[in-house]
Amino acid sequence: MTDVLMKPIMTIMGIFIIHFFIMLQLIGGGNGERTKDQMYEKIDGSSACYRRLNATHQIGCSSNRGGSTGTIHVCDSKRDLNFLLVNGTAFPYIPVLPVKYFNVENLERMIESKKVSGLVLHLNNETLKSLDYFTHDYQCPNPYSSLTDTCNEVSTWNPYGTGLLYRDIPFPIFYIDSYEEVLKMRNCFEKFNNFSYESQSDRSLCSLELKSFMYATTNTPTCRRRSNIITNLNPVKFCDPLGDSNIWASLYPLADGPRRNETKPLKDYKYIIISARLDATSMFDKTSGANSPVTGIVTLLTVAKYLKEILPIEIVREKKTNILFILFNGETYDYIGSQRMLFDMLKGYFPLKGAAEDNILPVIRPENVSLFIEVSQLGNSKDRLFVHHLTKGNEVLGFYEKLVEYGKPLLKFDNVSDSLPPASLHTFMKKIPTFPGLLIADHKHSYSNHFYNSIFDNSTNIGFQYYDVLENDDISIPTDSIQQLIANLSETIGKSVFEEVSQTKYNGVERADVILANELLYCYLEDPNCRVHRAIQRGNKLPKIPFSLYVGVDHVTNFMTSFTSLTLGWLTGVVEKGDVNCTNKPRNYAFKFYNMSKSIVDLNTTLCYKITMNTTEAVSPAFIMPDYNWTSGEFSTWSESTWSEINVRMFLKPSAAHEKMSIAIGCISVIFSFILVYFVKSRSHILFTPPLPTEAPTDC
Amino acid sequence: MDLAKVSNEKKLDLCRWYFRIGFALLPFVWAVNAIWFFNEAFRKPEYAEQKHIKKYVIFSAMGSAIWLVLLITWVTIFQLNRANWGETADYISFIIPLGTP
Repeated sequence: MTDVLMKPIMTIMGIFIIHFFIMLQLIGGGNGERTKDQMYEKIDGSSACYRRLNATHQIGCSSNRGGSTGTIHVCDSKRDLNFLLVNGTAFPYIPVLPVKYFNVENLERMIESKKVSGLVLHLNNETLKSLDYFTHDYQCPNPYSSLTDTCNEVSTWNPYGTGLLYRDIPFPIFYIDSYEEVLKMRNCFEKFNNFSYESQSDRSLCSLELKSFMYATTNTPTCRRRSNIITNLNPVKFCDPLGDSNIWASLYPLADGPRRNETKPLKDYKYIIISARLDATSMFDKTSGANSPVTGIVTLLTVAKYLKEILPIEIVREKKTNILFILFNGETYDYIGSQRMLFDMLKGYFPLKGAAEDNILPVIRPENVSLFIEVSQLGNSKDRLFVHHLTKGNEVLGFYEKLVEYGKPLLKFDNVSDSLPPASLHTFMKKIPTFPGLLIADHKHSYSNHFYNSIFDNSTNIGFQYYDVLENDDISIPTDSIQQLIANLSETIGKSVFEEVSQTKYNGVERADVILANELLYCYLEDPNCRVHRAIQRGNKLPKIPFSLYVGVDHVTNFMTSFTSLTLGWLTGVVEKGDVNCTNKPRNYAFKFYNMSKSIVDLNTTLCYKITMNTTEAVSPAFIMPDYNWTSGEFSTWSESTWSEINVRMFLKPSAAHEKMSIAIGCISVIFSFILVYFVKSRSHILFTPPLPTEAPTDC
Repeated sequence: MDLAKVSNEKKLDLCRWYFRIGFALLPFVWAVNAIWFFNEAFRKPEYAEQKHIKKYVIFSAMGSAIWLVLLITWVTIFQLNRANWGETADYISFIIPLGTP
């Protein structure tokens, strides 16, 4: 009787229990957060320092596997940090330090004390104001791939450089620029940690967990080899080569056509190259490169537009001299882009690799280059610029004189012979000592930019202020602004190039477009949804943060590269007249066709542009040569480690007594359960009625 | 298999085969043999085949012990020198640990 009743009751109870759990899930949001993760408070908006490798070393930071933990200690002064390193009892610690105190001396003391397991850097308003310099590149950037004797200890290009970017740091470092997140840590620190330091190790303490575990170690050859081992049961990619794309465009097409999709290359031309670098870097996963490279890029683009206006195609055809605009990528890491470009040029792979002979585009070799003009950092000058060069050739000096002449009265140029700051030109001159090149910059003996390759090389650093103006309004942009400097320089370069090509003086009245310079600076430094970017493409709205300028790994194309390439293409492109099919099908190797706006004023009128712009791979030749000798130091060997997780979490670490008690209770309950089971088993005949022997079937 | 239900000849046969199979670089088979037949060889009252079983058990135990020593030595040497051997060590590894030299 009871059995009959029990069954449905059990079923109903089962359903209830299942319902109960489903309800719990629904109420709890069902986000599947594990109980053990609920004790953490996430700290958002952090950028980690990560690991890179070259042929011989590893640099950067890594946490332990599963994260490095340590007690929070908010330091507001050097004294706080010293106090911690001397008197701290609850180590390991993770100091939370204003960026101002991040220098070689403090870092070395933290490493030596062995009491530090990680570091969090943050920015507060007072430190930014009092920050005179912050640059962690070398004092002589790219020391191994630059020409020797261009930088020595007495006179360095980057005198405030600490070289920390190239140090192998044994603990993770994070940079946090959100004030709220820092406040969260500070409050927790004040509440639990910041009193009676002698007894700190006996209390519950506010702690941080920094996760940035890097897979690769030792050096690039090691991690490349390990990524490619086929006997490996668990194939993991340990590192990726740094690289992206170089951007190039010619002022006028390198080939005639296309007629029935065929082009005829224009051979036996000389080329004037105008170049700039495209990338920057910083200690953390965040960049801002207002002075280097944005001022150079914007100047190059403004020159491109100006030359298109003043230099007619007839002169180019008659004098057989074309202009090439090249933006080199990865230059921060031992000139990746220019090394690859030169490598390709010498093999006859530029501008097209594998094109049979040169029947699509003419092959351009270094000896076809009659002049190489590189535009470097310009942001810290009002009217005085320096022309650096190493060759004694007439081309270079002649061009310098043209710059001086056309620069008057707005710009003053100084001739700095036997000097060359770190630049793509180093790559070319290393291979070809007579290569005719010069570099235009705002500095003579050392960078006037004190934030080179750091997160603070931002628009404030070059004093940029955006003016929301359109055509013919340029009076409102002050004459001493960076926009005007760039426009003036672009105009001077443009006129000088005009004379260089045509061999006659420029007598026109055309001015360089200061509005364009203004817009472009705004695009790169403040809002990527600017007018120029809306003119060249019809994509989705981008977040209002500047593009990352870090070159990144080779299989990812940066936003920076694709937007800049379209901009260069737009400025050098030719409008196709009549009813044209503006697609890239069938594929043509000499041209691309894009629908783009007519101008930044008239965004809604689209025209079909025939564009000469193209990109070439900017991955170091070391990674494409199968038998490259890694120890030769010939090419850049930088690679970036892979990782799975980067984040910062805060939690309350229980006191030692609490931890010991938890483990003791755990042990005791395990032992008791064993004892209990033993007793139950040994007395099972009393506790449970023995099962009845099954009845034998009667009809057997 | 319950050895209590097996005839003595069958036991010897099993033990011999386990011993032979162990030569195919299978030290675990020797270890299993030594442990499984230990009672048969040393703790049971004497019977005709026991002498042979005893022999195989001893040899299996020795074989697996030698293997164990060799393996421990190799693993120790390998783990201590993996980073120094560089390329060679990577090529003879099936699983390469992350984030270690």
